[in-house]
Amino acid sequence: MATTIFIVDDSATILMSMETILAKAGFAVAKAASGEEAVSKLQGGLKPGLIITDIHMGAMNGIELIKKVRTMPGLQFVPILVVTTESQQSKRDEARAAKATGWLVKPVKPEDLTRVVKQILPNG
Amino acid sequence: MTTSEPSAAVVPVRSAERDVSPTIPLVAAATLAACVATAGVWVGSRFHPMGAPAAAGLAASVSLLLGYKFGRRWGALPARIHRLMFRIADELAQYRAFTRLLRDQGKRITETTDDAAQVILSGLREMDAQVALVVASLEAEVPLPAHDSLQRMTQSISAPVVEMLGKLQFQDVTRQQIAFLAKLSLVVDEHMIELARQLGDRRSLDRVGEFKQMFNQALGDCVMTSQRDDHHVASGLDLKEAVGPKVELF
Repeated sequence: MATTIFIVDDSATILMSMETILAKAGFAVAKAASGEEAVSKLQGGLKPGLIITDIHMGAMNGIELIKKVRTMPGLQFVPILVVTTESQQSKRDEARAAKATGWLVKPVKPEDLTRVVKQILPNG
Repeated sequence: MTTSEPSAAVVPVRSAERDVSPTIPLVAAATLAACVATAGVWVGSRFHPMGAPAAAGLAASVSLLLGYKFGRRWGALPARIHRLMFRIADELAQYRAFTRLLRDQGKRITETTDDAAQVILSGLREMDAQVALVVASLEAEVPLPAHDSLQRMTQSISAPVVEMLGKLQFQDVTRQQIAFLAKLSLVVDEHMIELARQLGDRRSLDRVGEFKQMFNQALGDCVMTSQRDDHHVASGLDLKEAVGPKVELF
């Protein structure tokens, strides 16, 4: 069974684009359009092998989502990739401190995305 | 990103009762100077032959200074200056209609490109799915010699699809750039409101807003390296921030 990758982004275009790229690479994909929706789906039992999140979203931003996920049972060690337009080093450090796994700057080339995902999920 | 409209309105110029005459401070100063000079001449002439002119000169200088000080504080603005201030405040209010229009246009561009990107994405996904079906049926139904060439053709159709899917992320990048422009226009709006308010209150004329500080605060909203570089250029700085790796695993 394919590993599920959970994409969280408030841009419908990004969700659709990444979903297609990752599905073509053989992964199952779940999506959420906000941090709150992501938390709700995770609390509802979704167990992704990897979470990919944007930073700039509505009420709950990506960093807050990562912190929240790290407190949820069974999700403390799930890899979380940040995909964002943000390029400041201080924000990267913030994400690292929140225990994110990696950082990708948009726009992400499909081959970069799949390469990094396969690096994180070698058995995915 | 979200933006909100400033709520302040332009405050009208107050104290029209001061529009009496621009000459009042001068008359007050001259009267005061005359009184002080007369007193000085009288007192000075009683002690020394040169006392009178010296006292008169000193008294005139002091009273001119006093007249200037009190005239500046209590004097009236000419009506034509008030009219000019009204006009500037009014035009500042009208400029806000333009910045509002800029924001609305940006929003429209974002919505239009979002719709277009999603339609293109759906089309690409459909194409990709159909190509996958063709490849599957090729393997099952087409004889081997023709199979290879047809498979190469289908691969050449399928290969650019993935790249195009990646390129469509431009829409989200553009959306955030436009959102940043909208935020900047709100900063300009706030400043125009503040300027208009100051036009209506002479006492605050010396307290001009911290424009540089406001401009620098906008830097905090620059999330992309290109935006931050543009901001530094606009600030007159020859500064290029280090670009971190596009992909970084912690």
